[in-house]
Amino acid sequence: MYSVNVVARISNVLVMDRRKFLKNSTLASSLFFVPSFVKAFEEVASSSLGYKRLVIIQLSGGNDGLNTVIPYRNDIYYKERPTIALSKTDVIKLNDDIGLHPSLLPLKRLYDNGNLSIINGVGYPNPVRSHFRSMDIWHTASGSNEYLQEGWIGRYLDHSAKHPYHAIELNESLSIALKGNKFNGIATQNPKVLYNMSRDPYFKNVLKHQNDVHLSEHNLGYLYKSMISAESSAKYIYETSKTVSAKDGYPKNQFGNQLKTTAQFINSGLQTKVFYASLGGFDTHANQKNTQNRLLGVYANSIEAFVSDLKENNTFKDTLILTFSEFGRRVKQNAGMGTDHGAANNVFIIGDQLKKQGFYNDVSSLSNLDDNGDLKFEIDFRTIYATVLNKWLEVNDKVVLNKSFNQLDFI
Amino acid sequence: MKHKHIQHLYWRTGFGILPAPLNTLSKNSKIEIVEHLFKASKSVTPLKVDTSEINALFASRSDFTKENRKKFQEISRKKRIELNVAWIGRLANTDELLREKMTLFWANHFVCEDNNILFIQQFNNTLRKHALGNFRDFVKAISKEAAMTKYLNTKQNRKQKPNENFARELMELFTLGVGNYTEQDIKESARAFTGYNHNFKGEFVLRKALHDTGNKTFFGKTGNFDGEAIIDIILEKEQCARYICEKIYKYFVSDVVRKEHIDEMVGVFYPNYNIEKLMRHLFLSDWFYDDENIGTKIKSPIEFLVGINGIVPVQFKNSRQLLYIQKVLGQTLLNPPNVAGWKGGRSWIDSNTIMFRLKLPSVLLNNAYISKIEADDSDSMMAMSSKNRNKNNRFKVEANWNVFNTNFKEVSLEALENHLLQCHINSKTEDYLQSLKKGAKRDYCIQLMSLPEYQMC
Repeated sequence: MYSVNVVARISNVLVMDRRKFLKNSTLASSLFFVPSFVKAFEEVASSSLGYKRLVIIQLSGGNDGLNTVIPYRNDIYYKERPTIALSKTDVIKLNDDIGLHPSLLPLKRLYDNGNLSIINGVGYPNPVRSHFRSMDIWHTASGSNEYLQEGWIGRYLDHSAKHPYHAIELNESLSIALKGNKFNGIATQNPKVLYNMSRDPYFKNVLKHQNDVHLSEHNLGYLYKSMISAESSAKYIYETSKTVSAKDGYPKNQFGNQLKTTAQFINSGLQTKVFYASLGGFDTHANQKNTQNRLLGVYANSIEAFVSDLKENNTFKDTLILTFSEFGRRVKQNAGMGTDHGAANNVFIIGDQLKKQGFYNDVSSLSNLDDNGDLKFEIDFRTIYATVLNKWLEVNDKVVLNKSFNQLDFI
Repeated sequence: MKHKHIQHLYWRTGFGILPAPLNTLSKNSKIEIVEHLFKASKSVTPLKVDTSEINALFASRSDFTKENRKKFQEISRKKRIELNVAWIGRLANTDELLREKMTLFWANHFVCEDNNILFIQQFNNTLRKHALGNFRDFVKAISKEAAMTKYLNTKQNRKQKPNENFARELMELFTLGVGNYTEQDIKESARAFTGYNHNFKGEFVLRKALHDTGNKTFFGKTGNFDGEAIIDIILEKEQCARYICEKIYKYFVSDVVRKEHIDEMVGVFYPNYNIEKLMRHLFLSDWFYDDENIGTKIKSPIEFLVGINGIVPVQFKNSRQLLYIQKVLGQTLLNPPNVAGWKGGRSWIDSNTIMFRLKLPSVLLNNAYISKIEADDSDSMMAMSSKNRNKNNRFKVEANWNVFNTNFKEVSLEALENHLLQCHINSKTEDYLQSLKKGAKRDYCIQLMSLPEYQMC
């Protein structure tokens, strides 16, 4: 580690844009070694400031929002879902009309503490009912007839990040959401594995001998760039996070592990702004009840362990958790005791600094549906992104989203 | 034909080519070599694991007990791993090379997954059977596969309450591509696939009472269409041929699509949908061998794994470890991420997978050693410490270097990179390689395989 004096001297050298510096400098061929001292400099600069983090949780497959946040007094609900509706007695009541799925008891506790905001009727114009396309739309923050190659977090990285590890996906592979033009986030489930792999001296030698021509080559350049960012980030993530261990009490499954690792990262002071975790299996075309019971249980229990882990380490106040799914499901159940792809859905915002606690807005109307028999959207998901970018991550949301959206006031 | 072009052809239609067959083929013309590939793939050899255990389990009607069904699930789980390993073994060692590569391609087009070993094995062999056949027959066969009726819920698709899942993916992913149909088209066509089901053996069954025989209006036509009629109407659209040609181009030629090439391919494919004819045209075209298409694709994890195995055969003592490697690389056969399949191209690569790919050849073939420790590099001493070494070397594998020694006997150390690397080598990398060309051929082989360039095909 460099002393503060050394860092100060280096920072004087670095008067020009760092990237330009790297490019022009004779050090270019040893690009590999530069990030460590630059990083030392940055760590001093950003220490002791409130470091806000965003945790995004994706429920893949299209979670049935109507059986998640339930209008348990609505006759239409019971009429359209004769065998899969949740009975009044099973629902965890939040108020006289609306309740939560019985697996979501931990969320009720967050609700009671003012740590949960439920945004209803979230979607986008001309909803697409394909998983992949709709997920891409959520990932890239595009319109439904617009195809973007970069994710919204990727563009956030392009705009304001200095390192790929500013966004980490707790997965074996990286979603488009975290892929930018200049920057990609890091995908890792286990930082130690990544670190051990990256340490081979042979790789250092290979990178010493690469030059800009490599980086400009189409697919090969992409491989070299990925290699460079993996090596520098792996070391930092591993060495920073190994000092802290997460508490017990997380469900022993993949999603529980993702949040456990996330807590470990956050509590170690890792300079990561965005974490991305996901839980799949929500595509309940058939026999929905058991599947959703189990999955929402996994979700809620993991969230509760995660929040209490952060609270113990005093990091919950600087963490915002956003949960979404690519679409909701049809109001009317199908013949297989399940539901088909729908449109608008609810989004959960969990945090300690919520302006609007409880329900952000009313639940969607069940009598005013679209032509497919799906809930109509009321809130464009991109207004949520814009709000989070602007008010939480404190960047220019218009630049990241390529467009201006209204700000909401949940934070 | 030029060495470089034969290697290109064999990387795209297979998993590379060894020095001896390369030398033999280089005396032949392009047409001869391409025809040879098609001729070898005329036959169809189904891929089967031993499922006699299951037949014994359900010998009579009275055997259909809850307990036996549970046993069946256990056997299925075990057998699915066997099928995965057998499939990789097949890819590494087959005479029907092109058919197998096409089967791999179609498995990521008609994406399907099923826990039932009998159904998924049957599905896999349907892919193999139609891989070079007629696309129309292919789509119809797929729509009636037991595994598919389960995977996309056609068996829950009933007259009274249609389930749109299959109808939607049929158009979005299997034939037309997103945006080339309306929501109404999906609703109407879903009605045509009502009543689709299968029996225990996995044979197609149409449950007449659940099938909607009313008129459907689909793409402007009205009639009592059944599923096959809907597929015929879809295939009337040239867009279907275009969608398939683009996908084939991206897989076999380049991530960067050239419209003039696609137009040419559509002209061959539409309206008869003869897959073999299309592929022959592709491999005989001049542009397939353009420099911009050689060594510019990122290998899929399976291409990468099977390719390594072609150079130095690797025997896994624990088949679960082969599964694990596929998982970390991001492509486990028989276990696709979702019905859209693997995106391919750059999406194979992220921080985790690039490091794993670079490290894997040395881990499998050389106890995780890539290069000898350089005395002045203290960091490398750390990385090479014995503790670290054991962690990396947890795969129980046997690498058969004798096969390598025999196959590459006539290849000099200098020429080895021409056999292992498909892409252009940068001058600075070349300098570094020169400095490595001092040791044994075997060490140099590992070093070449540990370069980012080795990831290209």
